[in-house]
Amino acid sequence: MKAKRSKFEFLKLMLSVFAIILLASCGAEDDSSITINESDSGLFDPNIVGEALTITTTHWINNKSIGDGSGPVTTELLSEPQSANAENWLQYGGDYSNLRHSPITELSPENIDNLDFSWGFPTGTSGQFAVSPLIYDGIMYVTSSYNRLFALDARTGEMYWRYDHPLPSDLRICCGPANRGAAIHGDKILMATLDAKILAFDRISGEKLWENEIIEYDRGFSATSAPLIVKNLAVIGIGGGEFGVRGFFDAYDVDTGERVWRHYTVPAEGEPGYESWSGNSYETGGAPAWTIGTYDPELDLLYWTTGNPAPDWNGDARLGDNLFSDSVLALNPDTGEREWYFQFTPHDVWDYDGNTHLFQVDIEQNNETIKAIVQANRNGFFYVVNRENGEFIRATSYMEQLNWADSMEPSGRPVINPAAMPSEEPTMRVCPGALGGMNGSVSGSVNQSLGLAYIPVIESCQLMQKGISMFVEGQMFTGGLPTPTDVDVDETGDSSSYGHITAMDYQTGEVKWRYYDPQPMMAGTLSTEGGLVFTGSQTGHAIALDSSTGEELWRFKLGGGIRSQPVAYQLDGDTYVAIGSGNYQGIAGFSVADVAIPEGGQLFVFKLEK
Amino acid sequence: MRLSSVLFISMVLPIILTKCGEAKDPVSRADSYMTDPEAVKRGRLLFVGTCAGYCHKLTPERVDALYLFDCDWKHGSSDQEIFNTVTIGVPNTRMLGFGTNFPEGENDLWKIIAFIRTNSPQCS
Repeated sequence: MKAKRSKFEFLKLMLSVFAIILLASCGAEDDSSITINESDSGLFDPNIVGEALTITTTHWINNKSIGDGSGPVTTELLSEPQSANAENWLQYGGDYSNLRHSPITELSPENIDNLDFSWGFPTGTSGQFAVSPLIYDGIMYVTSSYNRLFALDARTGEMYWRYDHPLPSDLRICCGPANRGAAIHGDKILMATLDAKILAFDRISGEKLWENEIIEYDRGFSATSAPLIVKNLAVIGIGGGEFGVRGFFDAYDVDTGERVWRHYTVPAEGEPGYESWSGNSYETGGAPAWTIGTYDPELDLLYWTTGNPAPDWNGDARLGDNLFSDSVLALNPDTGEREWYFQFTPHDVWDYDGNTHLFQVDIEQNNETIKAIVQANRNGFFYVVNRENGEFIRATSYMEQLNWADSMEPSGRPVINPAAMPSEEPTMRVCPGALGGMNGSVSGSVNQSLGLAYIPVIESCQLMQKGISMFVEGQMFTGGLPTPTDVDVDETGDSSSYGHITAMDYQTGEVKWRYYDPQPMMAGTLSTEGGLVFTGSQTGHAIALDSSTGEELWRFKLGGGIRSQPVAYQLDGDTYVAIGSGNYQGIAGFSVADVAIPEGGQLFVFKLEK
Repeated sequence: MRLSSVLFISMVLPIILTKCGEAKDPVSRADSYMTDPEAVKRGRLLFVGTCAGYCHKLTPERVDALYLFDCDWKHGSSDQEIFNTVTIGVPNTRMLGFGTNFPEGENDLWKIIAFIRTNSPQCS
C-alpha cells in the first residue's frame, strides 16, 4: 500500500511538474508580470549589450575654450558663396546655390596621390551614415544614424562634445535610421530627429538650448534632413510618404524654437489643387518634404521639394494629378506662402519622389541668361526649370535604361509608357526602380567652371506590383510592392544591377561622361575647383575622379558601403577631405548591392601631404 | 482523500487537460480559404498592398521586418496568434494593430493568413 501510494505521489509530482512546464511554455505571454524585451531574446546583440553594460550617459558637455575665435555665424556669412569660404562648409549644400562645390585648387589630379588618411572617428551606431559634415571655426559638426551629434576638432578629430538623442523603439521610418546633417546659425547648431523633433545646441559647449516637437512621430512622421537656415528661420521638412501622412515643412525661429509657419504640401478642401485628388484621398496624400531645399537671397524665394503621393503603388483611390506631390515649390520664406510650383511626376504610382537635390545655376538660352534650378529627379530625368517663375525649360534622361516614360511633352509633363503602370501581375521591368535613378538621400554636385553636374546613379530596375491598400494611421500605406529584377549574379559575384557617376552638361542636357561601378551608386558627390569629383561606392571605396573626363584617379577602401556626402575644407593651409562610411543593409539589398558587409558608421578624414 | 490529491485533481489536472486541448489548433477560418483560389488571391493582393511594400517581403530580403514565409515566428505561429498579432499589434515596434479595419473586415485578414499558409513550408 505504501509502495502504491508512493508511486501515485510520484506520478502526481511528475504531472504537477509537467503542468508547470506547460504553463511556463504556453502561458507566458498571458502573464502580465513577465516582460520580455527584444534584447532578452537570447540572441547576442552587440549594439545593445556593448553600450548598456558600459555607459548610460547620453550627453557630454564641453567646458573648454575651443575653436579659432571666428564668432557667430551671421546671415551675411551664410549668404556668401562657397567660393569665398574654403575654410568652411556652412550648409548641407555648401552654400545656398547647393552646388556642393569647393573652391579648393591646391588639391588636383596632379597631386591626388598625396592625399593620405589623417584621422578617423567612430559614430558607434549602425545604419546608414549619411551625413554632410559642417565645418566652421576649426570645428566639425557631425550627425550620425540614430541622431547622435558630435563636435570634433576639424584638424585632429578630438571630440569636444557629444549628444545622443533618446529615441523610442517604435519609430516610423521606412528606410533606415539616417540623419543627413546639422545646420548652423549664430552660435547654435540645429538637428532634426527621427522622432520628429528639432533641437538647438550651443555650438561651443554642446548644451541644449531648446527642443520642439515638429509633430507626433507615431502618426507616421520622421525627420532625417538637415535644417536649412533662411534669415532667422530654420526650415525643416518631414518624412512619412510611406505612412500616408499629409506632408508639410515648417519654419522655426532659430532663437526661440517657436514655429513661425507650416506649409502643407497637399491642399485641403477649398484650396488650389484640391481638385487633383479624388474623394478624400488628400487626407492621406503623402507628398512628404523629407530632404533639404534651397534659398535664393536675390529673389528672396525658398525652394522645397515634395515626395510621392500615398499610397505609393496604387493610385486608384487618388485619381488626378495629386498636387503638389513630386514637385518643386517656390515660397515666400517669411510667410510660407507658395509663389509657384512645377510638378515632375503627375499621379505618381512608382514612388518617384521629387525630393532629389536642387542646384541653382544660370542657363544660357537664346542669348539670354536664365536663373534656373536643375535637378536629377528620382524619375530618371534631368530637369531645368526657371527659378523665377517655375517655367519648364528642358528634361533629358541621365540614365541608361529609363523606360517608364516614352517622352516629355513641351510643358514638361511626361508621356507615360502604359506597360510600366503597376499591375496585379506585373511583367515589365520598370526603370528606374522605386529607389529612383538618383535617390534623394544623397546629393550631387556642380562645377560651374565646366558646366557639369555630377550625379550618382542607380541602374536597378523592378517589377511594380499593385495590391490592395488600407489606411491605419501610423502604419505603412504603400498599396503595392516593388521587386528588384536585376539580381542575376555573374562569375565575379556582381549582380546585373550597377551604378555610375554621370556628368551632365546642364546647358545642353547631354551626358558628358560616365564612370561605372559594379554596384548602384548611392553616395553623394563633391566637386572641387581643382578638377576633382569625390564620391563613394557601396563596395566601400572612397573614389576621386577627374572632373573633366571621369577618369578614376584615387581610391581608398573605407570598409562599409558609403552613403555620406563628402566635404572639403582648408585650415592653416592644409587641405582636408571628409567622407563617412556605413551602409544600411535594407536599402543596400533593395538596390541589389552587397549586404554582407556589416553596418557601422566611421568618419574618415584625408589630408593632402605637402 | 488527501489534501494533495484534492489539489491535484482540482488544480493541476484541469491545467493539463486545458493546455493539451489547446495544443491542437482549432480549425481556423483561414483553412477554408486555403482551398479557395479567389480568396487566396485576395489575400495576396492585400498582403502586397498593405504588408509587403517596405516591411514583410515576399522573398527573404534583408529588411528590418520579419520574413513571414518560413517557420521562424516570433510572436506565435498559429492562425489565431497571427490574427491577434495583426489586429492588436506588437508593443514598442512599428507593427501597429490593424484592428479589423480591412476593406471586408476580418474575413480579409483570414484571407491574408490563408495566403501566407499556402506559400509557407510545412513546419514541425
